[in-house]
Formats: sequence, structure tokens, C-alpha cells
Amino acid sequence: MPEARGRWRFAGWLLLAGALVTLVAWPLLRLLLEGLDAGPGRLVDAVGAVGLAAVGNSLWTSALATLAAVGAGLGLALLTERGTGSARRWLRLAILVPLLVPDFVTAISWGRAYGPAGLTARLVGWDLPGLYGPAGIVLVLSVAAVPLAYLVIAAGIRVRAEPDLERAARASGATPFTAFRTVTLPLLAPVLVAAAGLVFVTSMNAFGTPAVLGRPAGFGTMTTRIYQDLAFSSADVAFLRVVGLALLLVVLGTAVVAVIDRATPSPERGGGPAGTPPTASSAPWPAMVIAWAGVALTVVLPLLALLLTALTRAVGLPPLPENLTLANFGRALDAAAIVGLRNSAVLATAAATIAVLLALLGTSLAGRRRRLLGTAVTLTFALPGSVLAVAVLLAFGATLRDTLAIILLAYLAKLWALGQRPLAAAADRVPGDLLRAARASGAGASATAWTIAIPLLAPVLAAGWLLVFVFALHEVTISALLYGPGTATLAVVILNLQQLGDPLVTSALAVILTALVAVASAALLILRRPGWSWVSLP
Amino acid sequence: MSQAAAAALRCRGLRVGYGGQAVLHGLDLDVAAAETVALLGPSGSGKTTLLHAIAGFLEPEAGEIQVDGRLVHGPRASVPAEQRNVGVVFQNYALWPHMTALQTVAYPLRRQRLPQADATERAMELLELMGVADLAARRPTELSGGEQQRVGVARALARRAGLVLLDEPTAHLDTPLRARLLAELSEQRRRSGTAALYATHDVGEALAVADRVAVLRGGRLVQVGPPRDVYERPADAWVAAMTGPASVLTVTVLGADREGLTLRIGDDRATLVLDGHGEADAGRSIRVLVRPDWASLGGDLRAVVRAVLYRGPHTDYRLSTPAGDLELREPGPPRAGVGDEVRWTLRRAWSLGSGTAPPEGATPRLGPG
Repeated sequence: MPEARGRWRFAGWLLLAGALVTLVAWPLLRLLLEGLDAGPGRLVDAVGAVGLAAVGNSLWTSALATLAAVGAGLGLALLTERGTGSARRWLRLAILVPLLVPDFVTAISWGRAYGPAGLTARLVGWDLPGLYGPAGIVLVLSVAAVPLAYLVIAAGIRVRAEPDLERAARASGATPFTAFRTVTLPLLAPVLVAAAGLVFVTSMNAFGTPAVLGRPAGFGTMTTRIYQDLAFSSADVAFLRVVGLALLLVVLGTAVVAVIDRATPSPERGGGPAGTPPTASSAPWPAMVIAWAGVALTVVLPLLALLLTALTRAVGLPPLPENLTLANFGRALDAAAIVGLRNSAVLATAAATIAVLLALLGTSLAGRRRRLLGTAVTLTFALPGSVLAVAVLLAFGATLRDTLAIILLAYLAKLWALGQRPLAAAADRVPGDLLRAARASGAGASATAWTIAIPLLAPVLAAGWLLVFVFALHEVTISALLYGPGTATLAVVILNLQQLGDPLVTSALAVILTALVAVASAALLILRRPGWSWVSLP
Repeated sequence: MSQAAAAALRCRGLRVGYGGQAVLHGLDLDVAAAETVALLGPSGSGKTTLLHAIAGFLEPEAGEIQVDGRLVHGPRASVPAEQRNVGVVFQNYALWPHMTALQTVAYPLRRQRLPQADATERAMELLELMGVADLAARRPTELSGGEQQRVGVARALARRAGLVLLDEPTAHLDTPLRARLLAELSEQRRRSGTAALYATHDVGEALAVADRVAVLRGGRLVQVGPPRDVYERPADAWVAAMTGPASVLTVTVLGADREGLTLRIGDDRATLVLDGHGEADAGRSIRVLVRPDWASLGGDLRAVVRAVLYRGPHTDYRLSTPAGDLELREPGPPRAGVGDEVRWTLRRAWSLGSGTAPPEGATPRLGPG
């Protein structure tokens, strides 16, 4: 990007610095000060046995989910990346479907499918033992994390484990298994570490899944503990426990992000030019059958059960044609839901627009300043929504409590990175000669930006906007902690309904929210297709 | 080449397709023991596909492959890649980023269950042979392109296979490095007595390294023969263009006698030795191939100079003759300028027939000699 000059540049810096202080530095500092004020002794006392149990629960459920998701992601990535063909393309799309579904909706849909009164219970009299409890939490966390693990590992396979490297091992006398053990696996080791770190952090930060599946069994994690203490208790001890747990999450998150950063493979390959791509070949059918069966049981069936519940006339009726109705949708869209829908739309639109503008400003920075900004926003993205919500509440609660603005501030802190990272990467990939050619053709710095750089980056800007929009629609952790009278988002409305009762209406609203997210995500997928953008998206 | 029993490679009726689209159409190819065959073709002609089928990286739809007299692919059985005993050198080197040069070359030896110490010792010998022993402890990112490819060649040789497949091994190297690596490869193969199938799209490379050249076009072998054969007697105009600078002139046959064939070029006549396809009946119009070194300036024929390119040791001229445009190469600096009328002599030509394709396999010789 061309560097704007003079006053404009100064104004840009000022805006960025202001945003960084307001959204990141000041809230986190407030959180830290709160902790220092209480002192370590009182914090530890406040966290106590209850808090420690929650920490332990978070750690072991996340660790198990990480193992499962990375294992499944590796298997699926090997299946789709070791060849071409339409069977593999369809599987790739199917694997990514859970990305379109908010995590608490996935948890609700598992309840509709495998719960005590779920679809399988009514059809074949079987329900998944332990679904409402730690086992269910681990299962649903894994299912929700598989696409993330898969994306990281598949990209790693494409970049680091080119088929020629395996072919060279085979031509050297290695059996397929030996080639996998001695070449593919060592090459992918850093990728697997990075994927595991990412999944672990995401699972630790998850709130929707443990909120839906853990509450009935009285099983709490760090994030649900914070929610309970903040929303339902006014005791000083409870508040100190929130601060203590939040600080603990900051430390844990930062440590894992550091590990990921260390492990993230450099983009350069082993050296040498690109090799022969994988050839078209039929995928091994037993593996394909297992993969599709997994997708069907963990993703398709639960979503189907959710949809059927939303369409059923009364609780407990079998999903037969005569029992189906659209009435639930009408009942679901009552005044509260409409307000929630409006709040979600306003928040998502505002967050997406401001995040993209901030990201655009960020690209005008160069070198060390840009990297510093990148690190700061990535750190806040890695922080759990619960922590950010607590920090923003501490910093701005006095004036902005119970307004949409305070939710927006927390959203921006959380989602800035989603706009910033792709745009910074794409801006670096716009060849400098394109901009120099514009300057040599007589365009000034701002003309170059408007006529060359921004048109080239337009698809990335649109993709960044949609990404933030989708995440903000998904969001329930921050809004559940910060909402007040009249500022509940649709996701919060659904989560509250889920706890209070009517499964039909809850399911209908969950279907509506998922449909909204799916539409925005479909637009995102189209933008990411080659041919739609001049600069390849990261 | 009819040494079928001792052949290092024997392909019969090899057919390969990707998703219903045929890439190789029933291909027959032999490589004799210790012979080097260059596989020459443009990109997309199926060179890599053929090498991958032979190495066992992909499954042919039909046909047989024998390596060292052993059937490795046939209608009933297919031997997995690791048991085919074929060395492979990759275009992109395909060095494992997590291994040092020494570990890389020792890898095939370890797969043959050689003890660690022996494998390391033998790998060191091979690195010495390729002149990169001092780089044994380095990883691929610390090696230049030429060094990487030497390690790649050493790895392929470590299998002690009777056949090495080389897939454009010099494609990503610059010209001086390429020449040096080519010379070393020839020397290595002469010493080890290994047969080689060498895929390339560079005709200079193919003519220089090969005992025989196999020209591949659209998944079919259109000509197989010694380098001089494919250069001087190409099967058709396409092969002629593929195997070096070529001009095609349209001339009329006037008659044949003991000195050769007399042709009419515009209003002029030339008598020369003409080999090639088709009948040379008097009065017939035929197309002939002329390489730049088969004609020279000075003589009876007339032409106008269209372009002059000074190349240092020699000069290339493009002449406009009544029979068509002609590329001509003369030693020394330019002797004529653009627009000059010059005289020239046609010493030799190769008949491509009267525009229609020659019958399969038939290359009748015209005229004496």
C-alpha cells in the first residue's frame, strides 16, 4: 500500500492508536489493575475450590476434544488432499458445514438428535448416555472444532507435504506406511501442533456448548463459571473469582498462542519449485464411507433433528407429514425475538464495517508498527469472549452498562483481527510494481490507492466484512454477559429460551439464526473461490 | 532395439487416463540395458504421466510394463512403487525438508535394511561421486538449486536400480549449471551402466544426452530413433519443428539423375541430395525441411534478407525466398543487411512429402545416396 503523507497519515495513526487504547489496552489494563488491587492472596482464595474445579473441567474437556478433532482433521485432510476428483470436493464442503452453525446451536441440535427425548430416542428408543454432561461437551466441542483442525492441516499438507516428497520416498523403497511415518508425519508435525493449539484455545474459550450441555448436569467450565458469577451473583467473592479466572484465561491463552506462533511453519517450502500436483484418482472407498458416515452422524442428523423439531406441531410427536407445521416460526418471532434479531443485525453490521475500516487504516502502517498492531489484535482475538466482556465491563461499565455500545466495543476488540489479518496479508501480496506503475503513469498516492490498491483488495475487504459479520451473528459469549434490558441479541434470546423451556420455539429460532449465518457464509465461500478475486485470499 | 530379454524397460500398449480423458494412448517403448533414451515433448504431451506410470505412482488403464525383465504392471498384477527398483529424479528435486543431504541419500539404503553405519558410508560415497560431500550436513533450504539436484541424483542412484527416470531434472537450473549437471549425469551413467529415461522439452538437451530420442506428442510416440535421425530425418513437420530450428520450403521436382534431384525454387534450379517421404515424380510439388546449417550464402539461388541476428560465433539470417521463408546460419559476423538481395545455395534437404502424412513407418529414400 502506498504510504499516505502528512496530515492524513497523522490522522490515521491517531485513529488507530485511539482504537487500540480504547478496545484493547485500557480494558485489559483495567482487568489487570483489578487483580493487582485485590492482591494474589485474595484472588486465589476467591477462585477457591469451585474455581479450580471449573479450571480442571475446562482443561480436560478441551484436551480430549483437541485430540479427537486433530485426529479426525488429519484423517480427513489426508483423504481430501491426496488426490483430486469430485468425490473429494464434496467431502471437503461437507466437512466445513459445522463452521456455518453457531456452537450453541450445534449443542442444541445434538440434544434434539441424541438427547433423552430426541429423534433417535423416539425412532429406535436409543439416546446417547451422558450427552448432558462432560462426555457430551467433549463430543460436541470436537465436532465443532473438526473444520478448524481440518483447514489448518489441509493447508499444511498442500504447502509442506507435496505429493512428490512422498513419491520420492516410495521410489526410494518405502512402503506407503513407512513413507507416511518417515516423511509425511515429520513434515506435518509443526502443522499438527499449530492445529492442536488453535483447537485447544477455541475449546477452552467455548461458552455455548458447556452452557447448553453442562448446565443440566451441574458441570461447569471456566467460561460458564464466569457467566454464573457475573450474571447471577452480587457477592464480592464471586466478582473476585471472575477476575481471577479471567486473568488465568489470559495467561493460558497467551501461552498457547506463543506455542502456536513458534510452531506455525514458515510459508516457504523445503526449497525447490512446485512439484507435480496430486493426480486424479478414486479415493479409497472404505475411508470415504467412514468419512461420510461420520459427517452424517455428527453434522447432518443433528441439524435434521433440529429442523424437524422446529417443524413439528407439538413436543413428542413423531416427525410424520401430518405432524409438520410452519406455525412454530410464527410463534418464535415474537416481540423479544424481533428485537433480538434487530440488535444482532445492527451489532454485526456495525462491527463488520468498523473492523474493516480499522483494518484498512492498519495497512497504511509499515514494518514494525504493522507487526505490533497485528500482534495486539491477534492476542485479543485469542482471548476468550468472557475475558473481553469482563474487561470491557470494568473499563466502560460505569457509563455504558446495558447499552448496545458496550457490546459493540467488546465485539470490535474480539473481531478486529478477523478484518486485519486477511487484509494485511493480501496487501502484502499486491506486487509493489503494480503501485509503482500507477505512480509512473502519473497517479498520486491517494489516486493510486483508490484506483489500483483498493479495487485489487475489494474482494478481500468484502470477505473480511462478511467474516466479521458472521462471527458477530454467531457470538453468544460476550453478549450473554453484557446484555441488558432491550439489548439482547438473537443468540442470547435463543440461549435463554433453551434454558427455560419450549423446545419447538427454540429450535425454530435456532434454524432462523443458522439460516442467516449460512447465507452470509455462502457469500463468503463464493468470494473465496478462485476467479472472484485478483489477490489470493489467505 | 530388439534386446527384449535384457531390456531395462519395456512398455507395451500403455494406456493412461485421468477421469475419462486419455493421456497416453497405447504406448510402446523399450530402453535397452545401459541405454539412455530422451523423452522429448512439449509440456502436456504426457512425459511426466509416462514416468509416473513406470515408477508406479499411478495406475495405467491398460498395457504392460517390464523393468529389468520383470513384469511390474500387467493386466493381472501391479507391483507397488517401492518394489519396482526404479530410481527417480524429480523436476522440483523433491528433497525432504526435514532431512540433511546425507540422511536423504541414506534413506533408500535404510529401506533396503542396510545397517545405519553402512548406509551412511555408502551415502557419503554417493555424495562424493556427485561432488557435494562437503554439503552432507545441510538441509534443502541451505542448498542451491544445482546442489539440491545433485543430492536428488545421488538419492536416485542409491537404489542401484537398473533404470533411472529423470523428469526434466535441469528445468529449474540456469544454463551454465545445466550444462555442467548434464555432463556429470552422462559421466555417472556411463560409469554405473544404468539405463535412463530422460524427460525433457529442451531439444538441445535431448540430442546431447541420449543414445536414442523418443518424441512424444499428445500421448503418442511419433518418432523414436538416434539423435541424428530425429534431427536430420524427422517423421513430419511437427517433429521437425520440435527437434530444432527448421524451415519448410515448397519446391517442385524437375527430375532425378546420378548427381541427385533437381528442384525448382521460384525461377531458379538447385540440384542436391534429397532424402525423405513420398514419391519424387517429375512435376510434383513437395515440401522440404531445411535446417539452418544445410544452406549457405553465395551461389545461384536468389533471396531477400528479412532479418539479421548477430550471435557472436555465428550469424542467423532470415531470407525470403520464392519457396518460402528460410532460416540460415553462417559462421562469423553479418555479411548482408536487411533488405539486401543475396544469393544462396541449398546443399541438402529432407522431403516431408506432398503435404499429406506419410504412411506409417514408411520412410522411402529418394534419389541416390
